[in-house]
Amino acid sequence: MPAGVGRLLTQLAIWVPLLIAAGHVVLFTAWTTWVSFTPSTLLPEYTWIGLRNYRNVMRTANFQIAYVNLVIYGIGFVALTTALGLLLAILLDQRVRAENALRTIFLYPLAVSFVVTGTVWSWLLNPGLGIQKLAHNIGWTGFRFDWLVEPDKAIYTLILAGAWQGAGFAMALFLAGLRSVDTDLLKAAQIDGAGPWRTYRRVVLPTIWPIFITVLVILLQFAIKTFDLVRALTGGGPGISTMLPALVVYDFMFQRGELGRGSAAAVLMLLSLVVVLAPYGLYVRWRRRRQARA
Amino acid sequence: MPHPTRRRLLAGSAALVAAPAIARAQTAGAVKPRVTVISQWSAGSDGAAITALGKVFEQHGGIWQHNPVPGFTTEMMNKLRAEILAGDPPAISQLKGPEIAAWSKIAPTVDITPWVKEAGFETKVPVELAKSCQPAGHWVALPLQVYRINTLFLSTKGMERAKLTKAPTTWAEFNEAAAKMKAAGMIPLANGGIRWDDGMKFEIALAGIDPDVYRRAIMQLDTDALKSKQVLAAFEQTRRFADWMNPNIAAQSWPVNLPAFMKGDMGMVLMGGWAQGNLLRAGATPADFSSGPAPQDSGPPCFDLNADCFMFWKQKAADLQAGQKLFAGIVMQPTVEEMYSKITGSIPARTDVDLTAEGFTDGQRNSAQNLRNAIAEKRVVLSLAHNMAQPNGITAAMIDVLTEYVHNSTITAAEGQKRLINAVESAQ
Repeated sequence: MPAGVGRLLTQLAIWVPLLIAAGHVVLFTAWTTWVSFTPSTLLPEYTWIGLRNYRNVMRTANFQIAYVNLVIYGIGFVALTTALGLLLAILLDQRVRAENALRTIFLYPLAVSFVVTGTVWSWLLNPGLGIQKLAHNIGWTGFRFDWLVEPDKAIYTLILAGAWQGAGFAMALFLAGLRSVDTDLLKAAQIDGAGPWRTYRRVVLPTIWPIFITVLVILLQFAIKTFDLVRALTGGGPGISTMLPALVVYDFMFQRGELGRGSAAAVLMLLSLVVVLAPYGLYVRWRRRRQARA
Repeated sequence: MPHPTRRRLLAGSAALVAAPAIARAQTAGAVKPRVTVISQWSAGSDGAAITALGKVFEQHGGIWQHNPVPGFTTEMMNKLRAEILAGDPPAISQLKGPEIAAWSKIAPTVDITPWVKEAGFETKVPVELAKSCQPAGHWVALPLQVYRINTLFLSTKGMERAKLTKAPTTWAEFNEAAAKMKAAGMIPLANGGIRWDDGMKFEIALAGIDPDVYRRAIMQLDTDALKSKQVLAAFEQTRRFADWMNPNIAAQSWPVNLPAFMKGDMGMVLMGGWAQGNLLRAGATPADFSSGPAPQDSGPPCFDLNADCFMFWKQKAADLQAGQKLFAGIVMQPTVEEMYSKITGSIPARTDVDLTAEGFTDGQRNSAQNLRNAIAEKRVVLSLAHNMAQPNGITAAMIDVLTEYVHNSTITAAEGQKRLINAVESAQ
């Protein structure tokens, strides 16, 4: 085949899928944004009504509870997952004998779908079936662990289940980071007489702080998009106390058949993601500029 | 045998491709009625009933193609919307209440008024039901079965354990009976914790207190009615219900309580008539439970109505059109409605079906008599939680408030009433 055709095929192989995938996402996002400004209910209509859908959605109790929950869940989930992941990574980094096996075991929860996680945890946390009942059966009758059925504590059960699933992922990233620390630095710290705790705190962790940022951003956008975990674990309940933005979008669009308001809720969700990711994008550009200058 | 040359291979495959066309051309004259149906009835007594209906359809010479969508009604509606958008709606779909009016605006439907008149069906169904099937003045849907929402089921063993002898008929008696059950160590009220279940408890309370206020507040969304003291009393009664439910229930579907109910650890269930179907399929015998109208504070028991209808979507294919006509004829027959109701525990939409026949329980007979009386005295109301009284958007907003109220005991009845009024205003 002549060289020109080879190059053309390469271009096609790159650009066609890229354009289709990107165009798909961009076009549908644009369409949803357009629908959010229309009075669509069961089927899309295309008349302009301005910000009425947004005002309506933001006034519903559903939405307000969802965004308060998002802040609680976001902070709790990211903090707990990062802490657990870091702890596991540091422990695994100590050159234990069964490291490969242990690493695989800790990564297993990530392979389980969120629906399965939610369902199994809903059984474990159910006061009449799970951990509380087990404690009562062994004789500790004063034990109470009924967060799942308390409206103001149910959100913490989500954090627990989510952290269980995500800790393995955070651990994998941190482990890679810990392994990539320059051994000269470690040896220098050892010569200076630093114990393991101080070595970690003063030498290792500061070196891997870009990984912290990466883990933070990935987990945060995980948290904002959470849908199946909540559906399986609490169904949005008890009542509507564990609603999250993704559920609000689903509720408006499909349960209530109000496409206009559902699209408005979806655009608001997109905006909240942009609020998280835009600073990260700026930070990456800033770092690159710093490195170029250095 | 001579080895196949390329020419012979080509000729042979061309013949194979042409063969079905020849066969089709031969049978083009005969049109076998066919019908594509979607519904939410994939399992349990509902699934068994629609399968039996399909068999009747096939016995009459039709081809039955039913695609159930498991889940609550909204999942089925999503699939229906997707098919309508694709330009290929099913011939028949399950729909109910105000959704029939809303959906009939988005895709063409079949005017089945001539078939209804021919069968003399119009005079045989309750007026509210007939109106909901005629959104633009002509029939586009057919009602199949009716359920009474405000039904009280009592566990026989539970009643013995709490030493109760008669079913409560007013809310005061109900509260006393529940208190006795609690004192006997039972859980007085079985509930699931799913949204529509919570909303249903409120509507049973309000309908039992005053069906006229229910009609004005819930069906007509009159603000004065929503602010009335009857609605406040209904919220207070719902708070009592919430206190008597199992505290460990966390968003499970209510049939998980059935084994406990049959054993006598749970005393009462406030649920629609389909619970009878659930109970019998779970292994209960009619001696294990008794059912009757939910408590009514004044006047004869009202009838909180939930009905399932089949909607007819305009089709181009001749066999689907023939199938729709055949299906309509079958569904309007009293024998078919009788068979359907025997399996699901509902009462037929036709008020002239004789329920003294074998296969119906006393609960169903009582319910049917209740419906006839309520029609005569204008005490029929439409269910909120089951999407009969209001379209989805308003229903969902109100149920949000009700389900939050049931699960959060810090919300007072007055606060709950205020939130309900706000939800109704902002959802319109």
